[in-house]
Amino acid sequence: MIKVTDIHKTYDDGKVQVHALRGVDVEIKEGEFTAIVGPSGSGKTTLLNVIGGLDTPTQGSVSVSGIDIAKLSENELIDFRLNHIGFVFQSYNLIPVLTAKENVEFLMLLQKRDEAERNERTTKLLKAVGLEDQINKKPNEMSGGQQQRVAVARALASKPDFVLADEPTANLDSKSTANLLDIMLKLNEEENITFVFSTHDQRVIDRAKRVITVEDGKILSDVTK
Amino acid sequence: MIFKIAFKNIWRNKLRSWTVIIAIALGIFGGLAVISTATGLSDMRQRNAIKTYVSHVQIHDSNYLKYSGLKDLIASEEKVMSYIQESDQVEGVSARLRIESFIQSAGGTSGVVLNGIDPEAEKQVTNIAEMLQEGNYLADFKRKPPILISKKLSTKLNAKIKTTIQCSFTDINGQPATGVFKVVDIFTTSNSMYDEMNAFVRLEDLQSISRLYGSHEIALTLKDEELVEQYREELMAKFPGLHIASWRGIAPELGYADKMMDLVMTIFLVIIMLALAFGIVNTMLMAVLERKKELGMLISVGMNKRKVFWMIVWESIFLALIAGPLGIVTSYLAIQFFGKYGIDLSFAAAGLRSVGLESIIYPTIDSYYYIVISVLVIITAILSCIYPALKALKLNPAETLRTA
Repeated sequence: MIKVTDIHKTYDDGKVQVHALRGVDVEIKEGEFTAIVGPSGSGKTTLLNVIGGLDTPTQGSVSVSGIDIAKLSENELIDFRLNHIGFVFQSYNLIPVLTAKENVEFLMLLQKRDEAERNERTTKLLKAVGLEDQINKKPNEMSGGQQQRVAVARALASKPDFVLADEPTANLDSKSTANLLDIMLKLNEEENITFVFSTHDQRVIDRAKRVITVEDGKILSDVTK
Repeated sequence: MIFKIAFKNIWRNKLRSWTVIIAIALGIFGGLAVISTATGLSDMRQRNAIKTYVSHVQIHDSNYLKYSGLKDLIASEEKVMSYIQESDQVEGVSARLRIESFIQSAGGTSGVVLNGIDPEAEKQVTNIAEMLQEGNYLADFKRKPPILISKKLSTKLNAKIKTTIQCSFTDINGQPATGVFKVVDIFTTSNSMYDEMNAFVRLEDLQSISRLYGSHEIALTLKDEELVEQYREELMAKFPGLHIASWRGIAPELGYADKMMDLVMTIFLVIIMLALAFGIVNTMLMAVLERKKELGMLISVGMNKRKVFWMIVWESIFLALIAGPLGIVTSYLAIQFFGKYGIDLSFAAAGLRSVGLESIIYPTIDSYYYIVISVLVIITAILSCIYPALKALKLNPAETLRTA
């Protein structure tokens, strides 16, 4: 489903060249619950951004659901992300002026889905993440763990092929982390949703079904449990 | 949803949004206040000039305006007068004999135009009768014929009511002629220059002294000011040998003042809109830079750049849509209030009088300016948020999420 072939990514600010990825090959199949791990600066976020079409590789190809995303124009990439990828960010990044319900509904509005479908799916997703009683709360009225659960619900709202989560538990306490991982594992197991994380949180690594370790822009190990 | 987010976004920083809204509203208020005051001044100057000395239409012999010759009386004056008096459109008509004269009292001398008038007819055309100190409008006198002089001239001549003054001029035969008058009242118009240069006596007295039995000038006012040009053309067709001019032709400076006022108003509007534009650019740029991470997230999750652009444009349109009516309603109420009760500028009365203005100004404005300002505010708001919106489009989502 995701096929990354000989990916290189070099950042060049005119003075210094940084090789963030140096020939990465990886394949992630549907239904996986995969953690990309490594120390800070190892290239795991860059790899996640390249897979998610947020960054373009300097060399190599990225095929997602059979589409070579490196060849898409900027607008096509935005549409592709909307319809194929769900994102969960480290600092939640919800729209602060909207309620939990509106945040989840937002991507479906961009997809021009009808109101009945939006309402049904929003209710279902917020229930799935255990926030059915918080639907009218704004992000600043919720805890970090609750916000991240809304972010997961939002990521799933557009019915993506997979969810990319960039250090989703970095700002959460142990209880919220465990709670979030329970929810994501349940969604993975019961609804076959593919999750790919970048993380260096041992609690996530322990529960991941596959762990890809990245260091200095290369894959050091790839272990399926 | 874009509208909803845009509208909610402007209230994220209430202090900043209200500062911009009030700044825009004040800009509109200031612009409309200046325009209405300037229009009020211009209208007053024009109205005063018409009512005091210009009137709507003036008729002269063709040579009179070129040479101011005493002999250039209006031919067929009676025929002209009766034609005008029969017209339903005419409010008042006055025939005047005008002689440039040297005026002197025991206390001083000056040059002046003696206006020989029929007091009752003149009352229908100008407002000199309303501007007297004691209300003696060339009516109450004993042996010496009466004269009205202005306050300014009375100061110059050191003359008071009942002071005897002498007027000298050269008659039609080139011989010196003299008239002795008694000041029966003193007037003050809103134009000090006019006051200094004019005095009024009865037509028959001046005719008797000058032995000129006719008039140099027929002045008339119409019931409907809008019909001035039409009526002037009618008179020109009827009396082709005479010089017939409307107030615009007699006092072109009044028309120039109108044109200048238009120019000044345009400049003011441009300044207001520029200030508004800079305010919006600044606010929206700050709003974009503060929200880089959020905007990057929106692009990351699939909101296309066209929608991001319009979200920012709508934010500034909403700001303008709140500020615009606020400024316009406040301006409307203020203009209505001061239009009724006036703005008292008594402290500058002397300066205002020297240019033909009264000390209480009544602001007025053409409703068209409210529409123009509203449209300009919206256009300016849209134009001025384009730069911040384009700035948002240049954001690289991965970079903003990483660094913001």
